[in-house]
Amino acid sequence: MPRIGKQAVKGCLTLALPLIALAIIAEFFMPASYARLTALYLIYVSAVVGMQIYSGNSGIISFGHAGFMALGAYGSALLTIQTSLLSTSLPNLPQWLAAIAGGHSLWIGMLGALAVAGLVAVLFGLPLSRLSGSAASIATLGFLVIVHVTLVASADITRGSQTFFGIPRGVSAFVALPVALIAVALARIYRDTKGGLALRAAREDEIAARASGVNVTRERFIAWVLGGLASGAAGALLAHFLGAFSPKDFYFNLTFLLMSMLILGGMTTVSGAVGGTALIVVMVDLLRGLEGGSEVLGVALPQMFGLTDVGVGIVILIVMYRLRDGLFGLREVDERLFPEAKVTAIGAIEAPSAGKASLEVHGVGRRFAGLVALENVSFTVRPGLVTGLIGPNGAGKSTMINAISGVVPPSSGRVLLNGTDTAKIAPHKVPMRGLGRTFQNIRLFRNLSVLENVTVAADSVAQSGEDSRALAMAALNVVDLQDLAERPANSLPYGAQRRLEIARALALRPSFLLLDEPAAGMNPAETDALIAVLQKIRSDFGIGLLVVEHDLKLIMRLCDHIVVLNKGEMIAEGTPEEIRNNATVIEAYIGKRRAAA
Amino acid sequence: MEIFLQQLLNALSLGGTYALLALGLAVVFSIIGLINFAHGELMTVTGYAVCFALIWGMPFPLAVIAGLGVAMTAALLMERVAFRPVRGASGTTLLLTSFAVSAILRVLFQNLISARPIPVSIPASLSGVVTIGPLHLGMIQLISIIVTLAMLLGLNLFLHRTIAGRAMRAAAEDFAVLRLMGLRANSVVATAFAISGLLAGVAGILWVAQRGSVDPLMGALPVLKAFIAAIIGGLGSLSGAVAGGFLLGFIEVILQAYLPESLLPYRDAFAILLVISVLLFRPQGLLARKTLVKL
Repeated sequence: MPRIGKQAVKGCLTLALPLIALAIIAEFFMPASYARLTALYLIYVSAVVGMQIYSGNSGIISFGHAGFMALGAYGSALLTIQTSLLSTSLPNLPQWLAAIAGGHSLWIGMLGALAVAGLVAVLFGLPLSRLSGSAASIATLGFLVIVHVTLVASADITRGSQTFFGIPRGVSAFVALPVALIAVALARIYRDTKGGLALRAAREDEIAARASGVNVTRERFIAWVLGGLASGAAGALLAHFLGAFSPKDFYFNLTFLLMSMLILGGMTTVSGAVGGTALIVVMVDLLRGLEGGSEVLGVALPQMFGLTDVGVGIVILIVMYRLRDGLFGLREVDERLFPEAKVTAIGAIEAPSAGKASLEVHGVGRRFAGLVALENVSFTVRPGLVTGLIGPNGAGKSTMINAISGVVPPSSGRVLLNGTDTAKIAPHKVPMRGLGRTFQNIRLFRNLSVLENVTVAADSVAQSGEDSRALAMAALNVVDLQDLAERPANSLPYGAQRRLEIARALALRPSFLLLDEPAAGMNPAETDALIAVLQKIRSDFGIGLLVVEHDLKLIMRLCDHIVVLNKGEMIAEGTPEEIRNNATVIEAYIGKRRAAA
Repeated sequence: MEIFLQQLLNALSLGGTYALLALGLAVVFSIIGLINFAHGELMTVTGYAVCFALIWGMPFPLAVIAGLGVAMTAALLMERVAFRPVRGASGTTLLLTSFAVSAILRVLFQNLISARPIPVSIPASLSGVVTIGPLHLGMIQLISIIVTLAMLLGLNLFLHRTIAGRAMRAAAEDFAVLRLMGLRANSVVATAFAISGLLAGVAGILWVAQRGSVDPLMGALPVLKAFIAAIIGGLGSLSGAVAGGFLLGFIEVILQAYLPESLLPYRDAFAILLVISVLLFRPQGLLARKTLVKL
């Protein structure tokens, strides 16, 4: 059951009321041309919101949603086309399709649109979801081309590049309104669900999201399908708004228009999509009036073909140059107007079986194309103790951490986390089995709030019925960040960002915590605060800590047990006292001659 | 066998053009992370330049040189005017910027030049057919294969044998460090755009020579294909872009030759689908750049 928070409900109402009011005013009090423009606006809202569900949350710009609109348009139009025209306009319709085509109502047509768009979204989503960033964007572009080529080539069903006509027109603002409201509600609710939040986290930092238990591929897939359905529904509406169309109506010009609508308001929010669409619809309507050549203030303007495209292009450039987050910024309107009450911390972050947990490194080796980064390293991290992993630069510490967390599988040997080989399970499952980690270069979900950062991790381990936000708050309490919970993560000072990363890892209820250079770049006061937090974690929660650190003073103060690596091999293991006096270790750190002297 | 060889040559010629375009995209992407949508408009600009140079009576070789000059200048201008303000921004921002630039340029071509195709008078000597043993090859196809190979070889030499070329390769690995080494970022980026413009120019001339006309949307389709080729090869990998370009060319030619006639109109859809399904198995592309993500 998706999480529908109070905030999402507030958000739906905040966005729905103006749309409802607009539709009523336009239909009852305005001339017909404005009513039509309003209907068109509401259709675009559904389409752009569909795009927002995917692009806004995943951060991957989509060129494909005009393709979904095309699928929705043809999928519905085949069902609703006037039966009397079928035999003349589509004489070669395949038999199975001819049996169901024509004569149905718009809402049956809508079901057809959703079926087609949904099916295609699922099929194409499978490869697409595995791609990130620009490569994924280009794949959505490929999707648009595939849809277009297929529609043009399937002349028996679509009349090819010729106009598809005879579709009953009848989309007024009141018909478009419910679809737009459903689409907006879907997008706003999805944004705050576990999956929506997880995807926004992956947008900010994919690696950290995986380390917080997010199945990035799955979340992208879900958003792609949901967005495809919303845009497909918009396509069905547009078809019945226009009455006649051809594949080129759903190609680059439409893509370009949708994109400007999405980014003008800001693609990260649903409010931005709804607001930006309104501005662009008005602008395009004004420019289209000028396009045919007209007189402004006594000056005759020449005919200017494509003026709207130039206008839309310039809007995109201005947004990119001057306000990248769009007019509405990074937060929803409802989050600004009606901020949520403070979350109270409930729930314990103890690992369910911290005392019995085990993390064993068995003969781990790793080669990178001939370079031996690790060779036959074995040690055990014990629950309730702090194990330090030290060694000079290039000793293989980072490789070791990556091998343990399952990011870089070892070439030989195994890492057993509570008996499970971490290389054998997907990287995002390792954190859910009780292993949290932090990163050498801080990896936060920078544009999410402090609380959201931790909630992402809490979500992936929360039992049903448990409030993961309360759990996240409990984790923030441990590192003393509870008062900054609503702040964006990137606004925190450096030391606090480091502690936030630890809180995020703690929210996974780990039995073990890997800390990769937690004190790097900290001043002495921040280091002291960090040590206090780490000691608290060890004593209160019985978590086993593995700390990689260059600061040997910190290691000696904090650790119960130390493992020393040098050139990929383990050269010593023991208590801080033993390590301090170990000749091999001294030699590795400061060289042979000095050590002897 | 002969048919196969014939198809192989066709694929080399088509794939070569894709490879040149994909390479131009990759050179820029590897350095500033921009996927340049307006790359196609560089092709179109070149086409117009050659077209007008011929109309003004320039001999063909001079017109080609003029076209290439215009392509490089246009690429440099594009970088200076449109992309420098967003340098260093996220990939999404760069992508959208170039998308807008591309759309604006198309409308300008339509309004300032013509929305309709303008014929280009290619010298008759280029439209002949060469017969090598049993194979028949259009003169232009042959030239296009030779030019492609020459360009790839030349670029390879430039990248490996000259200081500017080495700087470019270093920039592709780590731009920040290169700047710390004291190289001027602007000149490295400008070189990348100049090369990319040159490659787009060459591809543009080959394209125009085969089609005999220029229109405002001329560059759109081949560059779309080149995008696909570039991600298949692994975005930002130069050799990957070339491999992806040839692969896409081969797939298209093979589909063209062996698809049943009823399915031929779907050729492009099949080609893109095939190529994208490669990503199911190699999500990073065929020859992904070995970027070490520092955790």
